[in-house]
Amino acid sequence: MYDLRLSAEQIEIRDTVRDFVAQEVKPAALDAQRLDACDRRLLAGVLDKASQLGLRTLALPEELGGADADTLTLCIVTEELAVGDVDVAAVLAETSGLAGVLFSRMTAEQRDRLLPQFVTDDRYHLARAVHEPEADTALGIHYHRPGAIEAGRKTTAARSGDGWIVNGVKRCVANAPIAKLFAVEADIEGHGPGTLLVPRDAPGLTVREHDTGLRWYHGACGEVTLDDCRVPADSLLRGPPTVANGRGSPQLQSLNLGIGRAAYEAALDYADLRVQGGRRIIEHQAIGTKLAEIAIKLEVARNAVWKAAFACDHPDGYADRSLADLPLQTVAEVFTAEAIFEAAKDAAECFGAMGVMRDMPLQKYVHDARICLHSGHGTGDAKLRIAEALAGYRRPAAPAIAAE
Amino acid sequence: MDFSLSNEQRAWQMTARKFAEEEIRPISLARDAISDPRETFDWEIIKKGSKLGFRTMAVPKEWGGQGTDFVSQALVMAELAKADSAISKTFSQCWKWSHLIAASCTDEQKARFLKPFLEDDTFLLGKGISEPSAGSDNRLPPADDVKAGLKLKAERRGDEWILNGEKCFIANASVGKLFFIDARTNANVPVKDGTTMFLVPRDTPGFRIGKVFNKSGWRFYQNGEMIFEDARVPHANVVGEVNGAARKSGSRGGGDTTGGDLFGDLELAANALGVCDDACALALAHARSHNQGGQLLFEQQIIQLKLNRMHMLTEALRSLVMRVAWEHDHKLHTANPGLAMNFSTDVIQEVTELNMDVHGADGCTINPRVEKLVRDSIIWSHLAGDTVQRMKVARRLARSAA
Repeated sequence: MYDLRLSAEQIEIRDTVRDFVAQEVKPAALDAQRLDACDRRLLAGVLDKASQLGLRTLALPEELGGADADTLTLCIVTEELAVGDVDVAAVLAETSGLAGVLFSRMTAEQRDRLLPQFVTDDRYHLARAVHEPEADTALGIHYHRPGAIEAGRKTTAARSGDGWIVNGVKRCVANAPIAKLFAVEADIEGHGPGTLLVPRDAPGLTVREHDTGLRWYHGACGEVTLDDCRVPADSLLRGPPTVANGRGSPQLQSLNLGIGRAAYEAALDYADLRVQGGRRIIEHQAIGTKLAEIAIKLEVARNAVWKAAFACDHPDGYADRSLADLPLQTVAEVFTAEAIFEAAKDAAECFGAMGVMRDMPLQKYVHDARICLHSGHGTGDAKLRIAEALAGYRRPAAPAIAAE
Repeated sequence: MDFSLSNEQRAWQMTARKFAEEEIRPISLARDAISDPRETFDWEIIKKGSKLGFRTMAVPKEWGGQGTDFVSQALVMAELAKADSAISKTFSQCWKWSHLIAASCTDEQKARFLKPFLEDDTFLLGKGISEPSAGSDNRLPPADDVKAGLKLKAERRGDEWILNGEKCFIANASVGKLFFIDARTNANVPVKDGTTMFLVPRDTPGFRIGKVFNKSGWRFYQNGEMIFEDARVPHANVVGEVNGAARKSGSRGGGDTTGGDLFGDLELAANALGVCDDACALALAHARSHNQGGQLLFEQQIIQLKLNRMHMLTEALRSLVMRVAWEHDHKLHTANPGLAMNFSTDVIQEVTELNMDVHGADGCTINPRVEKLVRDSIIWSHLAGDTVQRMKVARRLARSAA
């Protein structure tokens, strides 16, 4: 069986989001003042409306107030949103993706405590605090060798009476400046590595927004400091911290696709209008082939991303050998990042000098695509991860969490 | 074959290197970071550079300039661009049009315009060609379409010409004191046969500057709109013949071939070379000073391969740039300047991107210059390496083979 058709629900939700983007997101996102990478405040009103459409809670089971969306559906929504505004898409991708994972792992008591507020508050966003300042997580020098990247976390949670005292610093935390609940990975006394649910207003938790000047991220991003931060005893989330194995959800790759599509759609519209050499520039071979190359890149990249999403939803596909034994999310990440950056540059070139002006969107799309290309440790690092997988190299596993 | 530089060429290179390191580099990032595009400019650096000859070095000696050769000019552009691409371009933009004055203006015009240009450290030059609906159509005019191309209109009235219309994306518009303006003097023939070039001083009645464009890169380099409302220009300011602009600027391949256009090709390639030199130096220094997992970044094969590619491309560009400069000095007119310009687009964009790759996201946050270089390099897409600029060179090749 090989079936590339979307379900009726997936097509419906795609059309709904596409319409929302055209009506509500683009008019706000394309405001000339907002196209400068140095000054891009989050579109709070758009985020509210997106939440009211259900895009924040999409992955929750229907009985918990969501739409039970699978990974592929989340990816489709993220791409459509990113065509309109990459920052809105990034915030919602983080919250909607995490909601599915976190609430399904919560105990009934935790869910009773946190879910009602999450479902009803349009501004309730989620964040996952993983990276630590001094930790060297780049594969680079550790390629094919056990090394510092397996070193334990410095963030710790110690028992104190009927609660936990958390200490540590986490950086590059997506959604940190707006999140109301943090999933903090820490070494937990008596348990080993684990995840704690820490509300924004927990005493001892502070957030510092990362420098918005350079804008080396999408959405909102910041550093989280936990200084004798106190949380109740039932804040521990079940199960071990998620391990990045290159087979996770490719939602950020869909975001990257959305950036490429925004650039492509702008270039296509312009090529259809702009006349030089006595004809619309799309009728010139030079521009026609350029647009074709952009369309090819988008189409092939989307195939890779959707396949990774399918694999994430159907991990049995690896087991029954329907899927290649590869980290398909990482494969999609590398291809998409490189292809979309080239596509965005080509799209900008179709605009001539207007392609580099800060009050026009094309330079923004190039910048946004460049963030995807260099975020994390870049595609070089990602290729090393794929190479380790090809060789069957297994990194020594982190110590397992004690069974409850 | 002799690759050595003369003492004079070496002296220009060293003066430029010192000025770039001591004066330009220290202000480069701060100027780039200013958000209002009208405020990024700095007259002090222009005055200092002018006193060293960097504004006027292309003016022939008999007219009081330094009369440097093209090899010296290429060396200086690259050295200045290594510290700041946009500041280098602001200076060399003056050479581009002083080449044009020397090649195309009458002695009377030279006396009238070169003298004040030489005397005033803040006298900058520019040229207005592009218009809102005429960019590629000026570069590659369709032979059979008289409506295509620039539309700014000039009509003769007695001893004056009356100019009406607008120009956009004009370099140095907001800071220049004298501009060459291409205007349509016959709307019934194709743009290359019906265009006249005028010398238009900044204080011409009826001529004003509109908006200053807010570019993502090359922030220092001013670029603006020009608006002509019954602007009055004396007939004595016509450059060459009426309807003869295309022949004078070299865009037709005949007449003057070292002024304007062809120098512009070398200019962009030489400027790109300086940016690539900067990127290579930054990447190598970063790789040799930053650790990952207790070892220098440089120890990694993928880093070494990136550094190799950056340097390989940069040295190939250097060879082509210096060869084109040498060919200009020996009055050899080929398509090589255009090829060098196209090649420089590919090289500067790949090399600055690789520099970013070597630095990684953290490195870019530590050193904002890494990000500045990729923004500056994107400018090459439409100036030097878009499909029109490449097809134009192919046609030059076909002409020279005929």
